[in-house]
Amino acid sequence: MKKNLKNIIEALIFVSIEPLTSDKIKNILDEFPDKEIENALKELLHHYSGNQRGINIQKVSGGYLFATTKEYDEYVKRFLKDEKKQKLSREALETLSTIAYHQPTTLAEISAIRGVDASHCLKTLLEKKLIKIVGRKKSPGKPLIYRTTKNFLAYFGLNSIEDLPSKEEIEKILEDKYEDS
Amino acid sequence: MENSQSYQINLEVFQGPLDLLLFLIKKKEIDIHNIPIASITREYLKYLDHKKNINLERESEFLLMAALLIHIKSRMLLPREISLDEEEDPRQILVDRLLDYKNIKAACKILREKEEKQIKKWKRKELPKSVSFQELDFMEVSLFDVAEVFFNLIKRQEKDQIKVIKGRDFSVKEKKQDIIRYLKEHSFLDFIEYFSHQETLEESLISFFCLLELISERIVIAVQKSLFHRIEVWLRKEVNI
Repeated sequence: MKKNLKNIIEALIFVSIEPLTSDKIKNILDEFPDKEIENALKELLHHYSGNQRGINIQKVSGGYLFATTKEYDEYVKRFLKDEKKQKLSREALETLSTIAYHQPTTLAEISAIRGVDASHCLKTLLEKKLIKIVGRKKSPGKPLIYRTTKNFLAYFGLNSIEDLPSKEEIEKILEDKYEDS
Repeated sequence: MENSQSYQINLEVFQGPLDLLLFLIKKKEIDIHNIPIASITREYLKYLDHKKNINLERESEFLLMAALLIHIKSRMLLPREISLDEEEDPRQILVDRLLDYKNIKAACKILREKEEKQIKKWKRKELPKSVSFQELDFMEVSLFDVAEVFFNLIKRQEKDQIKVIKGRDFSVKEKKQDIIRYLKEHSFLDFIEYFSHQETLEESLISFFCLLELISERIVIAVQKSLFHRIEVWLRKEVNI
C-alpha cells in the first residue's frame, strides 16, 4: 500500500495530546521534503474544513490539534456523565487579560491596572496553567514576573499572542456602548 | 427619586473602584476626557455611604480611589502660578487608568465569547481524570494478585499485634455500599492503605470479600501502574450505581 503523507500527518495529529507543530511533524517525517509536508498538511486541513464532521483539526497555540465540533458538545457531555467545564470567573478573566496585554508584568502592575488586589486570582490562574512565572524583576522587592502560557492560547483557541483581540476589535465593542452588569 | 433607587446597587457587583467609576460615568453620560470631579466624587461617595460597614479586606481599594478623587479635586482648586494649559491636568492620571481598564473590559468580552466557543470543543487532554483510569496508563490486576496482596497484608498484621475478634456484625451489602461511596469521594482506593485502616480481622475479611465481588461484578477494577507496583481500585465509569 502506498503511504499517503496526508494520512500519516492525520495520524500524528490524532495521537498528539498537545497541539502538534509543523516543525515537529517535519522532524519526525525527516524522510519527506518540508515542502511536501506543508502541502499535505494544507490538503489535510482543507479536507477537514470542507466537511461538516464531528471532529475537526484546530490550529491553536502554534500547532494542530483534534477537537470535537462545538455543535456536539451536548452529546459529548452526556457520554462523559455531564462533566462540567467551568468558565473563568469575571475577576480571573480580567486579571488574565490584563496580564496578556501587559506581559511581562508583576502583581503590583496588574493590581494597579485593575484597581484591585489580584494576588488571589494569580493563584487560580497559575493552578490552571494559564499563566506562568518567568523570573523576578530587578527592582526593589524583586517581584515575580508573570506571562501567559501556551495553554492560555489553546484555552481561547488562539494561534499566537497576536490573535488577542486587536485595538480595532476593542474599539468596536466600545462603540456598542459601555455595557455593565 | 431616581437617586434613591440607584443606591440599591450593591458594591459587590463591581470588580473594583474603576469599575464603579466607569459605571457612574456611563450612567451620568459624562465625557471621560472631561470628568466633573466634584460631582463624580459626590456620586461615588454615596455608593460608599450606602455600605454601613466597610470591609477593609475587600473595600479598602474603594476608599483609596475616594482619596484619589478628593486629592485631584483639591489640586484643581489650588491657585496655580502657571496657567492650566502648561501644567498637566491633574485628572489625566485617572483618565489614563480608566481608559486602560475600559479596554481590558472590552477585551474580556471578546475573550469570554472565545472561551464559550472553545469550551464546547472537547480535546483529548480535557477528558476527566477522576473517572478515566485508562488515561493514567494502568494495567489491570487479576483477582489472584489482589488476593495475594491481601493475605500478605494480613500475615504482616498478625505479626504486628494480636487482634481480638469483636462480635460486631458487618453486612456485606452495607460494606459494598461503603466501598462505592469511598470510591466516589476519593476517585480511587489504595489497596494497602485501605486495609491497613480496618479495625478487626473480621472487618478486613468482609471488606475483602466485598471487593472481590465488586471486581467480579465488573463494578470496580483493580489496576497497577506496573508490575509489583501498589494496587489501586477504581470505579468503572460506564457503570451507573
